[in-house]
Parts: sequence; C-alpha cells; structure tokens
Amino acid sequence: MTLLTQLLRNKKAMVGVTILAIVILVAIFAPLLTEYSPTQRVGRPHQAPSADHLLGTTRLGHDVFTRLLYGARISLAVGFGAGLLITLIGTVLGIIAGYKGGVVDEVITFLTNMVLVIPNLPLLLVLAAFIGQASPLVIAVILGFTSWAWGVRVTRSETLSIRQRDFVKSAEMLGEPGWRIMSFEIFPNLISIVGINFIGSVLFAVITEATLEFLGLGDPNTVSWGIMLYNAQNASALSVGAWWDILTPCFALAVLGLGLALINFAIDEIANPRLRTGGMLARWTGLIRRGEGTL
Amino acid sequence: MAFLLRRVVFYLAAFIAAATINFFLPRLMPGDPIQKMFAGAGSDLSLENLNALKLTFGFIDAPIGEQYLAYLKSVFTGDLGRSVRFFPLPVTELLGRALIWTVGLVGTATLIGFTIGTLLGVMAAWRRGTRFDTVISLLSIFSSSVPAVVVSLITLFAFGYTLGWFPNGYAADPMLDPAWGWDYISSVLYHGTLPMLTMVIVLTGGFAVTMRNNMINLLGEDYIVMGRAKGLSDRGVMLWYAARNALLPTVSALAISLGAVLGGSLVTEVVFNYPGMGNTLYQAILARDYPVIQGALLIMTAAMLTANFVVDLSYVLLDPRLKRA
Amino acid sequence: MSDPVLSIRNLSIDYIGATSDFHAVKNVSFDIGKGEFFGLAGESGCGKSTIAFAISRLHRPPALIRSGSRILLDGRDVLTLDDQALKQMRWREVAMVFQSAMNSLNPVLSIERQFYDVLKTHTGMSRTEARARAAELLKLVDIPADRLTAYPHQLSGGMRQRVVIAICLALNPKLLIMDEPTTALDVVVQREILERIHKLRQELGFSVLFITHDLALMVQVSDRIGIMLEGELVEVNDAQAIYRTPQHDYTRKLWASIPRLTGKPIAEGATQ
Repeated sequence: MTLLTQLLRNKKAMVGVTILAIVILVAIFAPLLTEYSPTQRVGRPHQAPSADHLLGTTRLGHDVFTRLLYGARISLAVGFGAGLLITLIGTVLGIIAGYKGGVVDEVITFLTNMVLVIPNLPLLLVLAAFIGQASPLVIAVILGFTSWAWGVRVTRSETLSIRQRDFVKSAEMLGEPGWRIMSFEIFPNLISIVGINFIGSVLFAVITEATLEFLGLGDPNTVSWGIMLYNAQNASALSVGAWWDILTPCFALAVLGLGLALINFAIDEIANPRLRTGGMLARWTGLIRRGEGTL
Repeated sequence: MAFLLRRVVFYLAAFIAAATINFFLPRLMPGDPIQKMFAGAGSDLSLENLNALKLTFGFIDAPIGEQYLAYLKSVFTGDLGRSVRFFPLPVTELLGRALIWTVGLVGTATLIGFTIGTLLGVMAAWRRGTRFDTVISLLSIFSSSVPAVVVSLITLFAFGYTLGWFPNGYAADPMLDPAWGWDYISSVLYHGTLPMLTMVIVLTGGFAVTMRNNMINLLGEDYIVMGRAKGLSDRGVMLWYAARNALLPTVSALAISLGAVLGGSLVTEVVFNYPGMGNTLYQAILARDYPVIQGALLIMTAAMLTANFVVDLSYVLLDPRLKRA
Repeated sequence: MSDPVLSIRNLSIDYIGATSDFHAVKNVSFDIGKGEFFGLAGESGCGKSTIAFAISRLHRPPALIRSGSRILLDGRDVLTLDDQALKQMRWREVAMVFQSAMNSLNPVLSIERQFYDVLKTHTGMSRTEARARAAELLKLVDIPADRLTAYPHQLSGGMRQRVVIAICLALNPKLLIMDEPTTALDVVVQREILERIHKLRQELGFSVLFITHDLALMVQVSDRIGIMLEGELVEVNDAQAIYRTPQHDYTRKLWASIPRLTGKPIAEGATQ
C-alpha cells in the first residue's frame, strides 16, 4: 500500500485533511461566503453575534466572520511559505550532514545545536523589535531562516541509518556522484520524515506568526488571525465582554492546529506501524473473542 | 565526565553566540545604532551616563574587533547596562526579579507537566490499542497543537472572566507587599494558578506523546521479552524494563523542547500580566528599551543553557552507559 | 515417549493481518524427554522461534495460537493457565536464552539487580540471599562475583551470553530453550558455550530445546532433531539418523547444501 492509500484509510488523517481542506477552501472562496469587506466599518463597535453579523463585530465595527475568512489566507500563506522554507533548509542540511559525515557533519551539527539552544521566541521577538513592524512576508522569511534546526536533527539521524544500507553503498561503488546519491537514493526514503517535518513546520509557523502578531510585532493593517487577536486584546475584548472578538481567532487557530497535528500523527503511525492506535487490532480481537485462539 | 565537560564548552560557545547576536543587531539595522538604542532615555541621560552606557555596549571609538571585546567584557563581568526606561535601574536588577517569577512558573509547570505527561504516556503505551490509549493520544495531540496564546486566552476567559474563580492578572495581589508571610504566599499561589494551568496544559500533551511513542518503539526489544519470560509482574516489566529505558530519549526530548517551553511561558506571562522575564522583555520591546531587550535575550539564553545542563546531569544519572563509560 | 517434559500437540500459530493471515506454524507435534537435548532446525522464517515463544506464551498481537493446539509442560496445558499461574510457571519450569543475549539484558539495571528481580518474584528471597545465590550461579558459568555490580554494557558479548545462561538456571528449570544462542558469536566461543551447557545438563539434569539453522552443529550436540520447513515439522529423528539416513527431501537438500572439504559428497537419496 502506498503512503497515500494508507493515509486515506487512516481516520485521524482523514479528519485532519478534511479540516485543512475546509480552511483552504474557506480562504480561497472568502469573497463568495461573505458580503462584507474585512477592512470596512460595517457595523457598530462590538456588536454581539446576530443574523447580520454571524460572529459579531470588532471594536472598529469590522465584521468578525469576514475577517475570519479572509484572515485564513494570510495564516495559511505564511504557514505554508515559512513551513516550506524551514523544511527545505532543514532537509538539505540534514541530508548533507548525515551523508557526508566528517567535518561537514560536525560543523552543521554544531551550528544546529547552537540554534536549537538559543530560545526561539525571544530571539524572534528581539529580531522583530529591531526590524520594527514586520509584514507577514518578513515574518515568514525570519521564521524560515531561524527555525530549521529541529528538522536538521531528525533528517540527519534518518539519513545516517539509511546511509549504511546496501543500495547506497552499491551506488557509491558504481561511482555515482554524491549529489545524485543524496537526491535520488537517499531522499526518496525520507519522504515520511520530510512530510512530518513539513507539516510540523507549517504548524509551527502558523502558531508563531499568530503569536508575534498578537504581541504587536506585525503590521496592524494585515488581516490575519494573529492581528485579530492583537486587536481584540488591545480593545480589552475580554473585560468588556466581547468574547466573540477574541475567541473567534482562538478557535480558528486551535482548529487549524488540530488538523495539522492529526495529519502528522497519522503519518507517524503509518511510517511506524507500531505506533498505531486501535483499528488494525480489530480483526485479531474479534478472533480472540470468538474463542478461535489465544496468545 | 567527558560528556559533561563537552556540554559545558558547548554552552559557553552558545552563550557567546547570543552575545554576538546582541552585538551585531543594532549595528546591522538601518540608522544610527546609538541613537536607536538610547533615544528612549530622554532628558535623564547626562553625557556622563550616556558615555558609560556606550562603553558597556561596546560603542567605543575603536575598530569593530575591540568594540566586540569590550561588549563581551561587560557581559562577562555582569554589566548589562542600565534600563533606558527606568534609568538608572541596572538591567541585571530589573531582570533578576523577573527571572525569579519565570523560573518559579516555568520550573514548576515543567516538573508537573513532565511527571503527569510521562505517566500518562507510560499507561497509554502499556494499554496500547485500548480506548484509554486512543483517548490519551487524541487529547495529547490536541493539547500540544493548540498555541499557548490560545490556551492562555481561553483559560483566562473561562476561569478568569466567565467563572470568576481566579484573578485576571499579576503575580500577586498588587495591594500586598512582598513578604514571606502566608498572606502574600497564598496570594502568589492564587494568582499563579491560571498561568500554571495554562502551561501545564500546553506541556503535558507533548510529553505524553513522546513517552508513549518511545515506550512503544522499544516494546519489541529482547530485554522486554526476557523481562516477561522471567515471570515478572506486568507492572514490574512496564516500569523497570520499559519505562525506565524509554525515559532516556524522553529526557532528551525535554532538553530540545525547553526553547518552546520558554516561548510558551512568554506568551502566557503577557496574557496574564505576570511579571516574569517574558513579560518584561515584551514591555521593553513596546517601550524600545534596548538595553533591557538585549539583556533579556542574554539572560533567557543563559537560563536555557542552565536548564539544558541540568537535563544533561539527570541524563548522566539515568543512563549507566554514560556514568562509567 | 513416557513422561515427556514438553509435549506439543497440533500447534498452529497464525499472524493475523488486516485482510489475510500468515500461517507461521502448521499443526506441529513433538515431544522432548527428561534431560534430552532436542534440536529444531530450519531456515529463517520457518517458524522455529515462533514455537519457542509460544511455549512460555510470550507472543503479542497479531500472533494467535489457534484453538486445538496444546502445549503440555509436565502434563499441564500451558495454554489454559490463567495469568497468575502462567507467571509462576515462567522461568521456574521454562527458561529462555534469546537470540542476541547482548540485548536480552536490561541496559539500565545492574547484573545483580537482574538476578534479584527474578529471585524475589518467585522465591521471596531477600536482597542479601539473592546476591549470594547470584554469585553461586555466576560461578557455574565461570564469571567472578565482582561482576555483579557491573552493567551489561561493561561486559563482553560472550560474558553477557553466559550471564543470561546463569540467570536462566536461577530457578532450576526443567526446560531450557535456546534460540540461536551462538549465531552472533565466533566459533570458539560457540564451542565453549555448548560444552558448558553440556556440563551443566549433566549436573542439573534439565532438557534443552536448541533452535538453530546450523544443522551440522546440531548433529554434534543433539540427542534428537526436528526439521522444519515453512511452518511444518517435516522430519523428527535421532541425530545420527538425521545425519546418515535423512528421510525427507528437504533434509537431504539441507545436507547437500553444506560444502564438504574432503571425501565423497553426500548424494541425494544416499542410504547406508
């Protein structure tokens, strides 16, 4: 069974993919799902949810539901963009370190451990503080270039174990150049780990972008879930009782996070069949119950 | 021993790396670094004081190499300059107080989260395939994928505002003076409950999944089968053969996750207006108090490195293969 | 055979899959007598280790021992024992040396501790009593008592193998199962271990179920030998008979595949 087929049969993966698909569709079709513009004042400040405004309005009179839908675009864009960059850098460095070994490996590992040990969010905050207001693009770029370390570690250790395998050794003996071996022999065997790394990085990027914007380091004119949190917090939404203002982006982030995490867990289960929960044992349990055998 | 020594050297290098970042950041940004860094001080800054600050941060009339060394010297002699916002309060004093609150919150939350998480992970792995396992796995996935900012906001909303069971901010009742008496301590505990709850929720899931997966990965090992073949009790094999071995990679994972833990605590502190390092850094950023911003990065890195070292120590204690090589 | 230590009857074991099952052991029956050295030979994947695991019921899902199978240890059907009785039976009546003994020892516990846990569980011995007994057992395999405080990684592969054997004999079991115990070791150590087992058998009188793919080795040490092919027991006979007059086609093929240094090749269908 290919990875894809197995994914389709896995309940967690299906739920996760469905959630992700819904978010993506919502982001794409936002203008069709709402009549308002996300940046126009269309109602009174902090109106509670009603027929006109499904999720109420913000302090500036913007429709929360509309901002939710349009906000998905930025969150997804930064999430996948930064996620891609992080995974790319992490995978390339990881494979090179694992395959080449020696000095190259030591240097890369040293750098990686260094980056891992300096606390991520505080560093990002400091960088963002020096930069001033960071647009989502800038945020994506900073994230991409500072968060690849975990991916390198994981990719490197997988590469190390694959490196010893016979097909790699035979390719070397045939005189295949290093870069070819890394791209065509080793990389295809890392698909599941790269997949997990990618989804994990997307999750990380979505969360961190929202956090940075919540802390006021983003561009306040952006329409994203993080900025929604920032605005709501500044408007003291909780203390004035405008729960919809702050809980909407919270809920959106939680749901997207959950979807991505489920996909990741599912890929992990499939790549490592021992980790599976339920399902596969059903037939076995059935036989035991019917008295057809014992352990 | 050699292991620990290598780790210490590495940590030293990492600390210097953080200091290096601090050194280059203001110089790489557009504009005059001195103007940027000390502008917030306003009229409080006499020429004398300004010069002292410049010296601390290496803004001397000398080639960049010497500037760098001057800055490193300040850092290693404990001189992190003075806060521009609260001039002339030394940065170390300001951050020192904050550090205590953060260590208290993060330290306790990590201990609780790690303990509960690994216990749940052990049980889930042992009861693999049952409903318990499925439930715990799903809950863990959920709690580890929701961002700290969301968990803290929802906790604040649910228990702070809606149910009103806990206060909405601060480390203790602002009316009380800090003291070792029961009044103050109980206030600290009361105010700390929600931030602590948030952090424990954020942390536990990750540890549970990690421990569960590590246990499952080694359940096929020969020594586990031998443990069962010996007729030892299920609990005995689960604890002393499986869990005890799975603990090692889980503790490693703890070390790697410390950065994320610190990040999570930062956001939690901001949401609950808790006077820890994270909140202090945040306030400093809002006020453009650059000496404090840089000092906070250094101290947070130092805290991370120390915590990592503590984890390394416990790893040496736990793995006999490292104790006597 | 009268009064066998182990009697296996109609043993069938499957590995349950999502859509189909793999029949690892198909209706196998054989006995092992008191003090007998029984060899079970066959290539990898033929089911011999599966049988070994089944005797102490060490299997985990998706393995399934089909009903109708019987495994009688001294007359008692192991497959009907409840959890309590099963745990009491383990190690007391059947002990097992696993394929790579290097990995059979718990890496985070000292050697002494690994004797203590099994002695305490089964006999309630105190720590000091257990330590003394452990030292005794280590003497049986020529290991000095000071190694008790060591951890597995501090011992060589051969030493670890001997420690495992010592732990196996702790409760004086009636049957010792050895699953490819010497495959990962060099021939000299292999010989030493087998000689040691031979001596201990004479002293303590246990039976041995010896599992290997090395037929030539087995003939030298076993009383009787069973040949397994794809889950089925195709031939069982005295060691010499298996050697000189192999009945089953597969057995003959096994012999033919061993290169001889001198003399006439063992021709297919040869009888003497």
